[in-house]
Amino acid sequence: MDQKLTHLVEDLTTSGDPQLDPEKMKELKKICKSSEEHISHVYHLLMTQLNQDHAEMRFSAFQIVDELFTRSHQFRTLIISNFQEFLELTVETDYEQPLPPPKEIAQKLKKTVIKSVQEWHEKYGEAYKKLSLGYHFLKQNKKVDFQDVNVRTPAARRREEEKQKRLDNIYKERAKRAEKEMAEMSQEIQDTLTEMENCFRLLMPDPFDFRVNDAELEPVTERTANEDKPTSSLSMQMANCQPSLLEHMDDEQPCCSKDLLFVSPSLIADRNRDLNEELGLPEQKGVDSGEYSEAEITAAAISDDDSEIFVRNHGLGSHKYTLNLDVSTDVTVRENEDNTAIINNIIDAHKLIKNKFLPSVQSWIQLFTRAGINDDCLRRAIDFKNKLEAAMKKHKEMNIDYKERVRKVMKVSNDEDDDDEDEFVEVPEKEGYEPHIPDHLRKEYGLEPHSPPKALTKGRAAKPILLSNQSQQTRNEEELDPTCAAATLKLIRDKLPKLLPLNNSASANPEPATSTEPDSETRKLEERAKAPVIPFGLDLFYWGQDQPTAGKILKFSSQHRFWAPNEMEEEVENKEVAEMLKSRYITFPGKFEPVKHKCRAVMPDGRLCERQDRFKCPFHGKIIPRDESGNPINPEDKIREENKRFEKQAEQPEWQDPEFMREVEAATGVDLGSSRYSGKGKGGKNKGKKRKYPNLTDLKQEANTSRSRLEKKVFNKGAMKRVVKAMNRMDQKKHEKFANQFNYALN
Amino acid sequence: MLAFISARQAGLDDPLRLRRAECTRRVLSLELNKDRDVERIHGSGVNTLDIEPVEGRYMLSGGSDGVIVLYDLENFSRKPCYTCKAICSVGRSHPDVHKFSVETVQWYPHDTGMFTSSSFDKTLKIWDTNTLQPADVFNFEGTVYSHHMSPIATKHCLIAVGTKSPKVQLCDLKSGSCSQILQGHRQEVLAVVWSPRSEYILATASADSRVKLWDVRRASGCLITLDQHNGEKSKASSEAANTAHNGRVNGLCFTSDGLHLLTMGTDDRMRLWNSSSGENTLVNYGKVCNESRKGLKFTISHGCDPEFAFVPYGSTIAVYTIYSGELITMLRGHYNTVDCCVFQPNFQELYSGSKDCNILAWVPALREPIPDEDAEKQYLNPAFEDGWSSSDDEG
Repeated sequence: MDQKLTHLVEDLTTSGDPQLDPEKMKELKKICKSSEEHISHVYHLLMTQLNQDHAEMRFSAFQIVDELFTRSHQFRTLIISNFQEFLELTVETDYEQPLPPPKEIAQKLKKTVIKSVQEWHEKYGEAYKKLSLGYHFLKQNKKVDFQDVNVRTPAARRREEEKQKRLDNIYKERAKRAEKEMAEMSQEIQDTLTEMENCFRLLMPDPFDFRVNDAELEPVTERTANEDKPTSSLSMQMANCQPSLLEHMDDEQPCCSKDLLFVSPSLIADRNRDLNEELGLPEQKGVDSGEYSEAEITAAAISDDDSEIFVRNHGLGSHKYTLNLDVSTDVTVRENEDNTAIINNIIDAHKLIKNKFLPSVQSWIQLFTRAGINDDCLRRAIDFKNKLEAAMKKHKEMNIDYKERVRKVMKVSNDEDDDDEDEFVEVPEKEGYEPHIPDHLRKEYGLEPHSPPKALTKGRAAKPILLSNQSQQTRNEEELDPTCAAATLKLIRDKLPKLLPLNNSASANPEPATSTEPDSETRKLEERAKAPVIPFGLDLFYWGQDQPTAGKILKFSSQHRFWAPNEMEEEVENKEVAEMLKSRYITFPGKFEPVKHKCRAVMPDGRLCERQDRFKCPFHGKIIPRDESGNPINPEDKIREENKRFEKQAEQPEWQDPEFMREVEAATGVDLGSSRYSGKGKGGKNKGKKRKYPNLTDLKQEANTSRSRLEKKVFNKGAMKRVVKAMNRMDQKKHEKFANQFNYALN
Repeated sequence: MLAFISARQAGLDDPLRLRRAECTRRVLSLELNKDRDVERIHGSGVNTLDIEPVEGRYMLSGGSDGVIVLYDLENFSRKPCYTCKAICSVGRSHPDVHKFSVETVQWYPHDTGMFTSSSFDKTLKIWDTNTLQPADVFNFEGTVYSHHMSPIATKHCLIAVGTKSPKVQLCDLKSGSCSQILQGHRQEVLAVVWSPRSEYILATASADSRVKLWDVRRASGCLITLDQHNGEKSKASSEAANTAHNGRVNGLCFTSDGLHLLTMGTDDRMRLWNSSSGENTLVNYGKVCNESRKGLKFTISHGCDPEFAFVPYGSTIAVYTIYSGELITMLRGHYNTVDCCVFQPNFQELYSGSKDCNILAWVPALREPIPDEDAEKQYLNPAFEDGWSSSDDEG
């Protein structure tokens, strides 16, 4: 029974599983139930397992303890009698005895134990004094927060709190700033929104916004009624059938009624004509006619209670039939010269909203929520956001068909004066700015190579067909774009024509024949691009001149009264120095060429070696040309490689394949010496030493880091001894040298 | 027990004998009892405890955060379950609280109206118990490790103070000044204790591993320096001569009759000395773990047949017989280093204070009730029951 108990405990604790095997647990419990002696035996077994330096073992052992604790009084007394040690082993109460690795399991163990201890305390704390003492110890001394599932040290908790506080402060500060910003910006946003809304209305009535139309309808009709009797019928009709238009009119002439009070009928007639003209406007806008009539009818149906008038007005036979009209909601508004101004406005507002307001409003909302401010500000910000988004959506739904916008900035280079040009401020030329980029550097600047200078001077008409037509075009387009470097260049080129002849002459001089062949031209250019640029020096300064003082060293005679060198040449000529002034050393190491070939020798696993060494692969020797399958192409290489293989095989005959030998040994029981070959054997080592508990996480594996391996080497006893010896020897030498001096002799 | 009572009835035995036997039995059965608790007041380690000798009812405790608490130990509730209440305390908010850790507290031996406390804030305070105001404050140049007042003195009113300086100071309560300095130690004085037998005899222990006995009437020097080798020079090198331990000596305790002196050192040894001759009695207590850097307060029983010493031993309390050096038991209950323990002679109770902020009461176990089936069923705490599930499959 005892033997079985031991086995059970060992199996359960070394399984490495997060859960206990219920079958084995049941068996264990059955044994424990049978007698108290078994319980104390189990207790000792479990304590030994808890003492193991492996968190998984401890965790499993603790799980068994937890199971038994709730069942047996005897077990409880035993555990509690040694509760200090139990806590040390499971909750890390002693900082000098940290929980063993692996870390995650240790954390989990700690958490579970703390939770269990609390449960135990609730259930048995009254009866077992030491249990409650331990619980209070954890709670008060170790500051374990039993509510907080994460086991944190008080220091960590405090740190976190401080961080939180700091963050809160920052957020609050930011929120305050945002609030201020919002206060400043809200008026602007409101204005923009209104503007946009108005623009939309101008462009197109909202088909679903009847009420608004009605509300605005009323005053208009009143007004028109006030105005004059003759016009009233017309305006009445207008009101009935074209609320949107009226609204339009209303917007354009907000105080028309006041103005018109004293206006003569003829003027009013004019106005009506105007109105009629405007009536045509919606058609120009490309508003769907069906939709338009729908708006008309519904508006009329609502505003006009009198069905008779309704019937009469619409020329309908009777009131008996219904009229169904499909309203297509997808609208397109086309831009034309009539609504350009409105659409421009819309574009501006849209841009403003999209680029400025929406992002800032979003950031405000984020800030407010993060700072935990939940009051008026947040509500207003959300309000704004909704409004802005609605406006954006509306804009999208409008499907405004913009005309191609001509970018006015492009005209800067032209002579036409534009409003936009006012925005460009004359900027002094930047220091170090190269107004003319030399040909060979043009690539660096991301520019196309210059067209031949000659062609430039002669004018574009005589331009050789160097660049294709298309590229020329793109180039021109680029030049039109003011943000592109090409455009600036063009501008400069136009402005500084005097630089060009110089360039021209420079390029023309070396080739007097002025061959128009593009080949030689390009080659020349390439060569020039290749030529190194060297800094300006003395040698260039005196290029071609003869210096009288070159290489002469002047020596001044000593100014001393008595002491003077007897003979001295005042002037020494030094050839080397003279040479130095005229020459210059330029080291030209050549250019780095990356290796393009690979070793491509066949590796044992069948793949080809991927190393890219220049001359020699450290594994496969000299790099030789090889075919697809990695075999050498040259016959002599092939022979050499064969030879090498033979030599290798001679070292280790085929029949002594270590694995095969091991099998033979296992079968016959005779040592054939397979161990000789398995020094570097792939599986030999692991096979020989089977781990005791294969299910547990291998701690050695985890501890086997490069650092630990290095440590093993560096702090190994022999190495230390060697180092100490060497250092001692060095000391000794010093001592030998100064041995006769007392202060060195002592230490 | 019955035999003792009948012998007592018959007048065969000395009345003391019954008392001794019962005391010894009770001390041997000391255990943590769930019915006895001491109120948790201290927020940091408990350094020192003292029970007043007059009634044995009130206990003082000094914490390492400077707090002093006064407990009532007596149970008048007529219930077995009792939590020793804190009557009053000198808390952190008290204007005269010690700034740093309180190292020693002691009752005035003849009256509970006054007590003394010394602390690492270099002061010794004399407190009026009833108003909880300091009646007098002595300032010193170094931190105070220990002080003691003679329990039997009638002709003087001196408090011996061991501080960081090697000089032992004697403060006279009558004049309110440091009246005398005893020179002889070379390092800080970790423990001082007056003899319970003769009112002028003082023992001091120092970090220079020496223990000295003084007669305070003699100004010239100490009476004896205790020597662990009893003067056998051959064994001791010249450096170790006249030393009581091979490390710092941080615990001192006279037996109740004052004939013997127990000392504790950081060499993990406890030694018993004849206090009149200064002879090492060479009782072997084995290893007594002692890592304390400051004074250690241990205590001995009173009125038992073999007397017992209760010695803090890491996070446990070891119980030794004094004269034979036998380790009787280890009392486990604290979760951190135990700093002090004090014995209540009237009821044979032991109180211990530890760094885990707890003061634990160790009470003699009650006699086993006569096994009565029904009664046992009734009184058994449900928590003590086994919780095996009834079905065999479940286990």
